[in-house]
Amino acid sequence: MDTLIILLLKMKSIKIITFLFLILVFKAATSEKVFAQGPPIFTDSPLLLGLEGGGIRTFGKYISTESGKSYIQPLVIPYNVTTDFQIGGIQPYVFRSPDNGESQSGFGNFTLFGKYSIIQIDGKAKTFRALLKYTQTFTTGASNVSVNANASQFSIVTGYVTINYGIYGTLGYTFVSNDLPDNLIYNFAFGYPILPQKYPPFQLNIFIELNGIHTLDVNKHLLFVSPGLQLITSSTFLIETGVQIPVIDDRNTTKFAYTLGIRFLFF
Amino acid sequence: MISTIKKILIILLLGISASLAQSDEVKVRVDGLSCPFCAYGLEKKLNELDGVDSIFIDFEEGLVVMQVTDSENISEEEIRVKIEEAGFTPKEIVFSGKNEKPDKDD
Repeated sequence: MDTLIILLLKMKSIKIITFLFLILVFKAATSEKVFAQGPPIFTDSPLLLGLEGGGIRTFGKYISTESGKSYIQPLVIPYNVTTDFQIGGIQPYVFRSPDNGESQSGFGNFTLFGKYSIIQIDGKAKTFRALLKYTQTFTTGASNVSVNANASQFSIVTGYVTINYGIYGTLGYTFVSNDLPDNLIYNFAFGYPILPQKYPPFQLNIFIELNGIHTLDVNKHLLFVSPGLQLITSSTFLIETGVQIPVIDDRNTTKFAYTLGIRFLFF
Repeated sequence: MISTIKKILIILLLGISASLAQSDEVKVRVDGLSCPFCAYGLEKKLNELDGVDSIFIDFEEGLVVMQVTDSENISEEEIRVKIEEAGFTPKEIVFSGKNEKPDKDD
């Protein structure tokens, strides 16, 4: 089954991306009044507002690799301390099913994060924002499903969001303990609304994202192209899905990753 | 004679009720309003102000229109603070209605 999906993805990834871009171009050429898209699916957002800020998030991520399959279910809980400062925690639950071995499951490593907004340039129906993000991952997870190393990541998250589209970018560096190699991460996202919108919102958005990680020391690169679809049904709830297709995979490990998730506001 | 008095009373009552029902309008230009669902916090914050009856947000114009029972109870400074707390940038605020206040630009 996985082989078929991978084959379809590999063969059709270029076609899918071309198709999505054609939708964008067609939409741009024919659009009347549309409003902006929601937060990207695989890339951070610098907006600490609404679902992009205090939205509790959970999603299921199915990852198919050369050595087996994994399913990860993280719960992300952010809290806006002030307008400019957010803290939060991420607790994943991991199922791992290696091709040659028994299935295992358990809690993964816990991560704390903090975001501090450093730039906010607002204009009429548009905004440019940037923030600094720090994440600290602890070795709290079950040893059979977690990496036995602490990780500290520093990143800068930027975004330019207008009522017609959004462009997001992240650049970060991760220090990893236990003599494991550090890594450099970069993410880019472009979001566009498909439906004409109203307030309170009802939005259907498409995203095209690039998610890359370069592992230092061993000098290996992994780059995903990640198309996604997002449905926002109200000011307090959204559902989103996306697939990550590796276009550069020096280690030839990941076949694809599929995500289906929700975000909702409690506060 | 009685009929004339009745008519006068009805006219007076209608006038009084119309005056009571009249609400003030406060228009605020807000910069940074780029996504409808992230404006939810703005709506929540502005609803914390005394006497806010309804809020309409026009994203294309970056405009928030509030219907308030009595704008005398709301100061421009309070509105600016709430908008900033919500993560946006307040610009011009215009009061209109029975308690009209002078326009003030940034």
